[in-house]
Amino acid sequence: MPEYEVAELERLIDGQLPWPRVQEIMKDAKDTDRFDKWVQILQKRVEWKEPILLPLTPSLYIVQQGSKRVVKCKCGQEFGDYRVNWKLSASIYVRESDEAFAEIYHGREKPDPSWVQIREYYCPGCSAQLEVEAMPRGAPPDFEFLPDLDTFYRDWLGRPLPDQQEFVDKTPDVIREWAR
Amino acid sequence: MSAMVAERTLTLKEQLEENARLFSETGFMYGMKDLKRKAEDPGRYEAVWHILMNICNTAWDVGCRVSSSAIAVDGGDALWGLHLPTGEAVAVSKGITAHPGLLSLFIRSLVELDYESDPGITNGDIFENNDSHYGGIHASDFDAAIPIIYKGELIAWASGVSHVMDCGAILPGSIGFMNPDVFSDGVPVTMEKVGEVDKYHRWYEMRIRSRTRMPDWVMGDARGRLAGMITIREKVIELIEKYGVDFFKDAIREYVEDGRRYAVKRVKSQTVPGRIRKSNFKDLAMKGKRVVLPQQNVDCLLNQPLEVTISGDASVKFSLAGASGWVPFGENITPMALTSALMNAYSHMVGFDMFNWGAVASWDLETPPEGSWANPYSANFFAASGVAWAPAVMWMSSLYETFGRLYFTRGYVEEVAAGAATTLTAEFSGVGQFGVYVAGLTLEQASNGAPARGMADGENSAWCIYTPNADFGNAEISESYYPIIYLGRNVEPDSGGYGTYRGGLGHTAIWMVKNTPGMEYQCGCAGIRSKVVGNHGMFGAYPVWPDRAGYAIDTNVKELIDAQKPLVHERGDPDDPQLSRNVKARVLENNAVPPFVSPEQLHDYDIIVHPVSGSQAQGDPLMRDPAMVAVDLTKGWTREWVAKDIYGVITKQDPKTKEYSVDEAATAKLRNEMRAKRKSRAVPFREWWTKERERVRAGEGMNPAVTDMFRSSMTLTPSYAEYIRSFWQLPADFTF
Repeated sequence: MPEYEVAELERLIDGQLPWPRVQEIMKDAKDTDRFDKWVQILQKRVEWKEPILLPLTPSLYIVQQGSKRVVKCKCGQEFGDYRVNWKLSASIYVRESDEAFAEIYHGREKPDPSWVQIREYYCPGCSAQLEVEAMPRGAPPDFEFLPDLDTFYRDWLGRPLPDQQEFVDKTPDVIREWAR
Repeated sequence: MSAMVAERTLTLKEQLEENARLFSETGFMYGMKDLKRKAEDPGRYEAVWHILMNICNTAWDVGCRVSSSAIAVDGGDALWGLHLPTGEAVAVSKGITAHPGLLSLFIRSLVELDYESDPGITNGDIFENNDSHYGGIHASDFDAAIPIIYKGELIAWASGVSHVMDCGAILPGSIGFMNPDVFSDGVPVTMEKVGEVDKYHRWYEMRIRSRTRMPDWVMGDARGRLAGMITIREKVIELIEKYGVDFFKDAIREYVEDGRRYAVKRVKSQTVPGRIRKSNFKDLAMKGKRVVLPQQNVDCLLNQPLEVTISGDASVKFSLAGASGWVPFGENITPMALTSALMNAYSHMVGFDMFNWGAVASWDLETPPEGSWANPYSANFFAASGVAWAPAVMWMSSLYETFGRLYFTRGYVEEVAAGAATTLTAEFSGVGQFGVYVAGLTLEQASNGAPARGMADGENSAWCIYTPNADFGNAEISESYYPIIYLGRNVEPDSGGYGTYRGGLGHTAIWMVKNTPGMEYQCGCAGIRSKVVGNHGMFGAYPVWPDRAGYAIDTNVKELIDAQKPLVHERGDPDDPQLSRNVKARVLENNAVPPFVSPEQLHDYDIIVHPVSGSQAQGDPLMRDPAMVAVDLTKGWTREWVAKDIYGVITKQDPKTKEYSVDEAATAKLRNEMRAKRKSRAVPFREWWTKERERVRAGEGMNPAVTDMFRSSMTLTPSYAEYIRSFWQLPADFTF
């Protein structure tokens, strides 16, 4: 199994590695220690200290915060329990008019606002555009990934996390509270 | 070896049942806990695998050359394979990898229906199917198989598939989106023995001649399929003579089990267990257009949800819960065909060491909602499937993003792929330049831009969702088949979405009609979006724009040519399309919503503008390296307004070299301003939810196509209805 230096992986992650080398990495068997090095690189790049448990997106990570596991932006903004769709704690801007669409799609190639909204989710801290959804009105936002962290760490990585937490989508609980 | 011994005493149908039992009881296909042939002699095991691959690829070479359709002859749009006696694909050729699952299921159906007893399976027999009711995908894809019999024992099958140019559907061509029902889908070949002694029956050719518009091409393709399959049969017999039949029989089963193990291993080593959800929606806007039956004067939106659950044992489950209802067009697909579509997407995203049926045994596709576009027959046994790929590939697009997200979590950024491109087809029908009728497809759509990776832009015009052999064929070949002349075939700027890494760019073909007394242009849907965009804003990117085509009828192009004035060679600036800028015409449409058939016949010097999309981007556009934006500007791959308004990059152009460079300070300032603007225009999610909830309840601003879709999804899947009501906290009896 190949292993790569952390420095080379950093160049890969940052898009700096020459394409022929990237192709070699793609064609070879996968390096089994990638995850640990990946987390190590990301951890080094943030200013906060909570251990990263799982990177979700280029900006958002699940981190261990005491006994809690929360979603945190690399800028430090927190989005709460990882089992609640983090979008509920984001800022949102919705494009749903021809004028708003025209800012990103010029001329004729525009969707129809009576068919679809374009929802932009921003980090309230650094204003990074975290996700964009193209959904008709009425479609709940996607909870893209609810990881089974305990199974992952215990059964796949062989190092259980200290406090097991129920693998369950807690988004509906928050929504119910909002409606009261 | 017990399974091998048992097989000689079992019928094929009994063997199929035995295989299922062994898998269920042991977790290993054919009960193979150990891969004995692999363990005994790994060199031979690998060598024979590569020989089998070469045999299949040789069949592809032979078959394509014998075929008649341009897309097979020039574009290689076909596939051949080797299968176990019970159907499982062992090895397949290059070509349309969407099909190995269909071919496997077709042969499996022959076994399940006990064709071994009636009509019998003999050396030289040719079996075919294109009937969606029995495992086909759509009538223009002819699945074929011949048995490989060695010393009296059926030891394998050879298969072949090609996409014929006209299948006798209600409208000319092969992309039957307009078909209202199965009776308009085209000539059926329903699990038939269509030939014996390596020769098609006379009645088969008679049926093709009387029921398809391009019988010479259709029969040419049939002979291409047969030539490829015979190639496989003969080469496999040679291989058996060299390596022994026992080794062959063991090894081909081990290759399949090996394929399953690879898929499981990759999921476990490169993903994370959990639940992944990705919604997607696909429009089919037909209201006010030329349609076949009055009930087709309707706009449809297809709900295409994907939920992937990965369990601790690395098993993968796919669900379509919430899929909307069947549509009165040829855009319904069966669960069997959907299995093959998934296998194709799996081959792209989960990959393979040995691409074969094994991957299918590593996952489970939950039966899609009955009555949905993905499982229509319980509600409408006569639902059309003229281009069943159309909804399937748009649904599969979500698989790219979901697995891309999983690979990202583990740090395998080089394996990430954002969502797929769309598949906008072009077909022509009419009397061509040689004075005879032609109808058929170009391969223009088979060369999209590739999805963005986790650390790089996608490649331009080098990717296609249904085949790894992206190839749009030679312009000159298309010109020799159809009465058209290419005026342009150019990379389309900004057609790969906007993101930290953009999708590979698509291109635009510009055709001038020439040398015909009249022809039609069918701007077809083999998986497009036009009223909506893909739900593929992965990690904060903007989705690829919608598909829009153009045409001009009764033009002044001949005068422009005579006067040597500019013609149309590209789409041009979206705010000032080249078509309307340079051409005058009685009918000129810059903004046609696909799919459609040209509103009237086209004649010499009429113009068609046919876009082929790029794939999706990933990441916040404001995180894109400004230098990459400058390079794109220099290459003409992005426009100045996109650089500034989307990417926040200020550049200057060298008047001599024409190269763009970045003004770093101005770019940093602009990007800060754009982030501040985001902050000022956004609201907390809860605030939006509170207001949006009321708009949802009132159906405010929702097109009837949208409300119809939700109503049908909620009816077909009660748990989905509960999901909608629960999220918006609506009454238990709420519907749209």
